[in-house]
Amino acid sequence: MLVRALYLSAIWFAISLFATLIMGSRLRRSDSTLSILWLTAVILIGNFIAVFTFGRLLEIFGLSLLAFGFGLYWIIRLNDWNAPGQVTWTMTLITTGLFVIYTFMLTAFTPLNPLSFIFALLFFFLEAITLLLALAHMHESLDVVCRVQWMRLVDKLEPVPGYLPMVSLQVPAYNEPIEVVQKTLNSLSQLNYPNYEVLVVDNNTPLQSTWRPLEEICRQLGPNFHCLHLDQWPGYKSGALNFAVTQTDPNAEIISIIDADYEVDPNFLRELVPAFADPQVAFVQTPQDYSDSTGDIFSESTYRGYKYFFEVSMPSRNERNAIIFAGTMGLIRKSVLEEIGGWDEWCITEDAEASLRILKKGYQSLYINRSFGSGMMPINFEGLKKQRFRWCFGGIQILKKHWEALMPWAHLVDPENQLTLAQRYYYLVGGLGWFSDVFNLLFAFFLVMGALFNLFSSPIKVRPLTDTVLIIPAVFLVLHILRFIWVLRNRLRVSIGMAIATMYNFFSLGWAVTLACIQGLIQREGVFLRTPKSTTASKAWRAIQVTQWETAIGLICALTGFLAFVMDPNWRTFSLGALLYWQGSLYLAAPIYSLLSLSREAALGAPVRVVEQGKPMMEQLAARWVLACSMVLIGAFSLIRFLPSPSGLPAYARFLPIDLSPEQVIGGEPEATTPAGMTATPTIPSTATGIATVKVESANCRAKPRGGAERITILYKNQAVEIVGRNDDVGNPWWYIKVPNSDDHCWLWGMTTTLNGTLEQIPIIR
Amino acid sequence: MQKNLQTEVSQLLEEAGQFAQQGEREKAYRSSLKATSIAPDEPLAWYWRSQTAPSTEEQLMCLSRAYSLDPNYSDTKKELRTAVQTLLRQEPFLAYVYETEEFYQVRSGRDLLINIPKNRTFEIPYLKKSPGHARPAFHWLTLSLLALFLGGVGAVVFSPIAAFHALRLQASAPSRGDRIRLLIVFILAVVIWLAAIPISWLLLIRFYPS
Repeated sequence: MLVRALYLSAIWFAISLFATLIMGSRLRRSDSTLSILWLTAVILIGNFIAVFTFGRLLEIFGLSLLAFGFGLYWIIRLNDWNAPGQVTWTMTLITTGLFVIYTFMLTAFTPLNPLSFIFALLFFFLEAITLLLALAHMHESLDVVCRVQWMRLVDKLEPVPGYLPMVSLQVPAYNEPIEVVQKTLNSLSQLNYPNYEVLVVDNNTPLQSTWRPLEEICRQLGPNFHCLHLDQWPGYKSGALNFAVTQTDPNAEIISIIDADYEVDPNFLRELVPAFADPQVAFVQTPQDYSDSTGDIFSESTYRGYKYFFEVSMPSRNERNAIIFAGTMGLIRKSVLEEIGGWDEWCITEDAEASLRILKKGYQSLYINRSFGSGMMPINFEGLKKQRFRWCFGGIQILKKHWEALMPWAHLVDPENQLTLAQRYYYLVGGLGWFSDVFNLLFAFFLVMGALFNLFSSPIKVRPLTDTVLIIPAVFLVLHILRFIWVLRNRLRVSIGMAIATMYNFFSLGWAVTLACIQGLIQREGVFLRTPKSTTASKAWRAIQVTQWETAIGLICALTGFLAFVMDPNWRTFSLGALLYWQGSLYLAAPIYSLLSLSREAALGAPVRVVEQGKPMMEQLAARWVLACSMVLIGAFSLIRFLPSPSGLPAYARFLPIDLSPEQVIGGEPEATTPAGMTATPTIPSTATGIATVKVESANCRAKPRGGAERITILYKNQAVEIVGRNDDVGNPWWYIKVPNSDDHCWLWGMTTTLNGTLEQIPIIR
Repeated sequence: MQKNLQTEVSQLLEEAGQFAQQGEREKAYRSSLKATSIAPDEPLAWYWRSQTAPSTEEQLMCLSRAYSLDPNYSDTKKELRTAVQTLLRQEPFLAYVYETEEFYQVRSGRDLLINIPKNRTFEIPYLKKSPGHARPAFHWLTLSLLALFLGGVGAVVFSPIAAFHALRLQASAPSRGDRIRLLIVFILAVVIWLAAIPISWLLLIRFYPS
């Protein structure tokens, strides 16, 4: 029943999502009647398919009632979404929930030895957490595309007559090329606002020849421009910015951080400052934009990748007053910054960290989705990788520092914590979301292991590859990829090709994010990523070297998937191969983008040599640690074979969910009714060494002891058959049986039967 | 003795004030200089000396000293900021020396040691925060959660220890927040224990394959 319910919900999920992909962004009204009608329609269409394929009327009816009730709840809760969004969200939740229950039952009741069980349990928790994160992504996507009422959306602020508070614009610089900073400062001198100062804060730039010219530029630009060089200053950028606050004009009420490579629109302050007329508003953020795209795929997809955050995540967060202060192109109230104790000098994403502390105090934030300036993107893939590493590392630092403040009970522990539940959710999911890439790598590892064990017919088993376990995750994967492409297309207005390129650009950084997550957890202080050193003059070879670990992982996945299918071609190994190929493609995207970034590098000139601040984290060393951990895991896996496996079918195996074959799902297999002329219990000779009684509704009897092998016949519940032999894997038994009323023989999976007789007396057939 | 000293310093400062009013800057400076030499811990003396100091460097040094002795005197803060700004216009170099909760001590490009007020709430840096009262209970709770992921048997043992620590520390909890925190640890420990029972049973029965 569970499996049938799971398939039915997956059909609902697919129908609702496909409909959302088509009309989710077009339907611009929220109407409960329409939502209820749409919910009913999706349920009925799904039921129609199920009735004619694998379903049972009573079960379908019961589950439909539950789904309808659940859907009604979400229609009421999400009353500012349109019908497709509400129904898709309901169906996603149902399918995810049922799949988690199914995988738990499969983990719990499959006859495994203790070590296998521990690995299976770990895998289950991994899967469950990943699915929860996927739910969060789904919610965010639907929230921005299917939302029809925006409560906090502001396009343009009304000017407040006479309100022109002083603004201190702070430009942190570290080893910046002078021509880049000059452009930034020139743009700041053109600001259409009467009351501001600019403070250039250069911290720890080693060479005087680099920072001294800044002094002269400031002098030329007038008395509002000040320059400051901080030497041997602790706390990196945030340390310097904290000191800069002490040097701001005492009349300044607002502070703005502008990166040294940003050219700012003259109306930046004039348009945004009015937000601060409301004393509750503590900070305002606008999107960070980039103007140096060179038109190649790397530049364009990277640009879209940045935009994703400001077009999808930030609008969704803004609806709950949960945005992040992203530093540059944002304004922050000086008194609030002083009240929270300034920027955190430990955290390398001090801006995002500060916004959390500000929201904790109960202040308001505002996101205005209009670009007021543009900066520079990393010149090549190596730069992008290092930047993503830094952001992720900072995200994990925030999580480490504030996890308790994000818990549902946080306001009870600390009454001063005024974060709403939604704010806590967004900050928590924002931090945990980074771990998706860690889980992705672990999945790739488990898949590779599974394929290798299958390839070498190893008795080591973690979780049986049932049909359901192969079909449903594939459905999830395809639907979530489609959802991602859809949201990219809708919010960023890009072609399908560019949406796919952007998606791969995201995933290509998975390895860097994984390293940052691990480092963030174990390292106390800020680090930066040091990629492998190149000893060659060839740029192409250097581009590959920078991504050598991603390339290796990608190739291992793709090759294992290919071999798994070629050595034993059937639909199961095909599914396994496809999954592995997908995983491999995510990692192989890294060297491809690295090579593609060469054209950008060539167009823009040689990369600027920036000396990173902090403690270096050697990618080579970290990768070796990951490799060592993998070896330990493989060693632990191989211990499985030395532990005793269940000698017979344990009693708990009766709780194992009954699997449905793909034929049954698509209706290619007859209904589970006893055919005419076949008695439920045929005469079995008394000399039989064992009798197997089918305990599931229907079971396939196959030509070989393997799930994907050709089906000889179907046996039905309570049907007893004579066992002639068995395979030699007691953990995964297959009975070689005599087909009732026939001279044929076939293989029946032991898990679907109960055994009468002694296992040891049944001869092993090899 | 102390009283005499105070009277003398007051007299000197009064004198310096009068000289300053009369436009006799040098005499005013000498009086305040004497005041700082006999009472080096008197912030007002340093402040007055800064007002009549012949050079920007000395003015900065005096203001800086006055500020470190009395960080709450707003005039000192204000003038210190102006003086630093003037200095930075000439030489924008500042090197870090050390910092306290209240101020930074920096060395200027002209080798002056200056104290610069932070003017912000002090927040204990994350890495210097002392472990919370509930830490032992949290420690065992984390272990039991990990153990739950690894088959549950460890969680059956560790979560009661976490619950025990939560109860034990309740009595000495220094704040209401800590009491609630410990109560939550206790509840979570019970939940983990309840989840660990069936999971560990599923693990243990696998040791008896028959």
